[in-house]
Amino acid sequence: MSSDPLWFKRAVFYEVLVRSFKDSNGDGVGDFTGLREKLDYVEWLGVDCLWLPPFFSSPLRDGGYDVSDHTNVLPEVGTVDDFKALVDAAHSRGIRVIVDFVMNHTSDQHAWFQSSRSDPDGPYGDFYVWSDTDDLYTDARVIFVDTEPSNWTWDAVRQQYYWHRFYSHQPDLNYDNPAVHEAMLDGLRFWLDMGIDGFRLDAVPYLYERPGTNGENLPETHEFLRMVRRTVDAEYPDRVLLAEANQWPADVVDYFGSFENGGDECHMCFHFPVMPRLFMAVRRESRYPISEVLEETPAIPERCQWGVFLRNHDELTLEMVTDEDRDYMWSEYAKDPRMKANIGIRRRLAPLLDNDVNTMELFTALLLALPGSPVLYYGDEIGMGDNIWLGDRDGVRTPMQWTPDRNAGFSTATPGRLSLPAIMDPVFGFQSVNVEAQVENTSSLLHWTRRMIHARKRHPAFGLGSFTDLGGSNPSVFSFSREFDDDTVLCVNNLSRFPQPVELDLRRWEGCEPVEMLGHVRFPQIGELPYLLTLSGHGFYWFLITSAVRGGPV
Amino acid sequence: MTDVPAAYLGQVAGYLERRRWFAGKGRDFEVTHIHAMPWLGSTDGLDGWPRVRIEIVTVAFADGSEDTYQLPVGYLREADPTLEHALVGTLQHSEFGDVVCYDAVFLRDATARLFEGFIDGRRGSEIEFHVVDPEHLPDSAPVGAAMSAEQSNTSIVYGEDSILKLFRRVGAGNNPDIEIHAALTRAGSVNVAPLLGWISGRWWTPQGEPRSGDLAMLQVFLRTATDGWELALTSVRDLLVEADLYPEDVGGDLAGESERLGDAVAVVHRELAAAFATTSADGYGARLADEMQRRLDDAAAAVPELPEFRDALHARFERLRSLTEPVALQRVHGDLHLGQTMRTVKGWKVIDFEGEPGRAVAERAGLSSPLRDVAGMLRSFDYAAGATLQGFGSNPQLAYRAQEWSTRNRSAFLSGYAMVDGAEVDADSDLLAAFEADKAVYEAVYETRNRPGWLDIPMQGIARMAAEE
Repeated sequence: MSSDPLWFKRAVFYEVLVRSFKDSNGDGVGDFTGLREKLDYVEWLGVDCLWLPPFFSSPLRDGGYDVSDHTNVLPEVGTVDDFKALVDAAHSRGIRVIVDFVMNHTSDQHAWFQSSRSDPDGPYGDFYVWSDTDDLYTDARVIFVDTEPSNWTWDAVRQQYYWHRFYSHQPDLNYDNPAVHEAMLDGLRFWLDMGIDGFRLDAVPYLYERPGTNGENLPETHEFLRMVRRTVDAEYPDRVLLAEANQWPADVVDYFGSFENGGDECHMCFHFPVMPRLFMAVRRESRYPISEVLEETPAIPERCQWGVFLRNHDELTLEMVTDEDRDYMWSEYAKDPRMKANIGIRRRLAPLLDNDVNTMELFTALLLALPGSPVLYYGDEIGMGDNIWLGDRDGVRTPMQWTPDRNAGFSTATPGRLSLPAIMDPVFGFQSVNVEAQVENTSSLLHWTRRMIHARKRHPAFGLGSFTDLGGSNPSVFSFSREFDDDTVLCVNNLSRFPQPVELDLRRWEGCEPVEMLGHVRFPQIGELPYLLTLSGHGFYWFLITSAVRGGPV
Repeated sequence: MTDVPAAYLGQVAGYLERRRWFAGKGRDFEVTHIHAMPWLGSTDGLDGWPRVRIEIVTVAFADGSEDTYQLPVGYLREADPTLEHALVGTLQHSEFGDVVCYDAVFLRDATARLFEGFIDGRRGSEIEFHVVDPEHLPDSAPVGAAMSAEQSNTSIVYGEDSILKLFRRVGAGNNPDIEIHAALTRAGSVNVAPLLGWISGRWWTPQGEPRSGDLAMLQVFLRTATDGWELALTSVRDLLVEADLYPEDVGGDLAGESERLGDAVAVVHRELAAAFATTSADGYGARLADEMQRRLDDAAAAVPELPEFRDALHARFERLRSLTEPVALQRVHGDLHLGQTMRTVKGWKVIDFEGEPGRAVAERAGLSSPLRDVAGMLRSFDYAAGATLQGFGSNPQLAYRAQEWSTRNRSAFLSGYAMVDGAEVDADSDLLAAFEADKAVYEAVYETRNRPGWLDIPMQGIARMAAEE
């Protein structure tokens, strides 16, 4: 890959669960080799970077976020060599790869924890947070309120309590121990040496705990991240650190680090609240839920970028909306209580939007145009459904639907052997929703998504540009501009299911001509008067603003 | 100073008659006098075109009454066919010879001249530019664009950041809109558009008497805003196309916004009480009862549908006489409705503190119970429901839903209002009930005269209030 330290600011990311993408050896589980076989598809779609959620050795009690060995992989997805081959093949196509790395905790099956509980005085005795009582750090909230009564769990072997911010089978590492720092850096180096392009750092706000605090966003945590960044920058240029910090943007912005030198902690952070607000804005037919949260989003250091997403392997996160909003989101999207998980909802994009193509396209257009780098979730590009009858969050992790053939073309195994069953319902089942059919049909959601991704990639304004909310006369129409150097893009989105007119104040581009980006259609010249547009229900426009030089017959 | 020929007065009269902000339409009038203020900006050399100045126009009616209007005029040496709609007239000027005169608000180069005085901090004997904080002004005068929605004033938007509201009808004295914005801007209110400056002038009547008054105000432009009326109509429409759902089940539910709006209005009231004198009045109820009953009697004579409910409303006003506690009075908005509120990306703002336009300036600055504004908002929710319903034709099911929408949003507004410390509002208060009925009576007269098709909206409200008595 050629050197480009800001590649992540223009990139389109694609999250792939290796176990669910393509099974190359017929054992019912997706693997590295299968993913490698499908890189042609990923490249065709226009993806710049793959994000692979955890595939490290794990008892898989939390989707792989319970790591039992940071330098090895799950046997069913392949070998470390298979992974290396995948990274090389992706790079040869110009596609980068980042992987999940869980900093905060390990599985209780990790050798470190087993050693820590049985040998308190041994080398790993101080790797975890142990206490004789369970009344320390009571100000820290319990995150998985459905299953965990406390952040402390009693260990019968060591006869002490251990601290865990997530599940009780995921003990938190003790970051007050310098040996833990070294062990984590060694884990990062293992993968960086293999050529990967960065990490998504899982659950970073919780690394340290201190009495009298909520144990989130502590200064010590930032100090540790700066040390990680220094190490990565010095030893491995052009790599990216993407933080998962499910907090308000005003708090998240601290994870980018100092403004003076363009950011010295993580290169990217996920923007969590924008996603539920998109859903609410469309439901309310009002731009204010989105406008407001973008207005409240602080500036970030120059060499940093937000990551934005519609859906991912976790539930629709509602921690970032107010209680009033949360009740509203619940009652709207979770009519079936089984769809609720913790403070969120487990659905894929298409079923969340009642499989309405116009709405799916509107959401995708917003995802690709809002400030930040978009992160697509595998399968959403073809409008895949989910299976709410599967436990935990597995409902949105079912096999990628490649063809209408057996097992959706995902695997040659006996259907019963699949790690998760393919979707077979009449609306979203693989016989009606699959890549093969949509590749054949150029008016499919897949082709549409591809065209939009490629349109985005032609315009640096989307990745690098400023964002300006343009307001407008109609509260149901959300309009904004993105500008970078002489690349100016105007996006107009109708959040209502009905056709809408809007008058926009575009005087700053007086004399220019908007050109619709997908069809290259020239629209009337912008004058001093409000610019009138009409949009179909859930319709949208992407315009390029060009200085008006009209070609015509002489 | 008058340097225009008499024929020009007739041309100006013709122009006034075509403008929406001219309140004398349909009456016999003539322009009797034009007082020309000094030229704005540089007039040296040929670069001085267009010449721009504010002209104060005196209009005399057949009944002997007079009105004064402000007309900023841009003089060009040649006609500009693209500005036909803004053409005031042509004249031979004593200094410049033949010129063509346009309403300056539509003349781009002229708009910059209107702004220049703020940057120079111009303070002349006839025209004075007041600046709140020079830091917030641009370095050079931008050109502006007149907004198409012209009401009793004309607004010019400059660049992205500021808007100049030009008062067309100028009276002697200070404009309460400027006075209130100045005070709330000083107090750091986040619920109004901050004041950047204003223009005041001094002139002479045809009889040679000196007059002075505010001519225009410059404010931060709420670029991302949509007014509350549009939001409300969107929400009601969303409900009525469903028809079989409750307001709280429909995506377009506005209750959250209405509650936040109530909060914003209560905060503005608290800020007004802190910035201006307040008083605690004895006998306020009796005075109001007199006033409201008199207005009701006048209205009953003008609106044939009203006498049926007269006794019930009289009884409602009569209860004010038993208000024994003193009532807290303060400066208020005076003409508050959804159209006077703007939703921006930073929450709700309240605009246009001019008071009730029908009243004399001195009266507008009077103190009142803030419940007058609250009642105005409650009526406005009813109006939003009624106005949308009109577009759907008569249908009892939809009418019922529209009423549910109004009830839900009215109560959300009240609960938002009551959440602010010190803001007291009791939905059952006699005072609030009286203000609301008084407002509805005013609406009934207005609709009878101007929009008979909408009379049903206030009459439905009046019938409901009468039924409660």
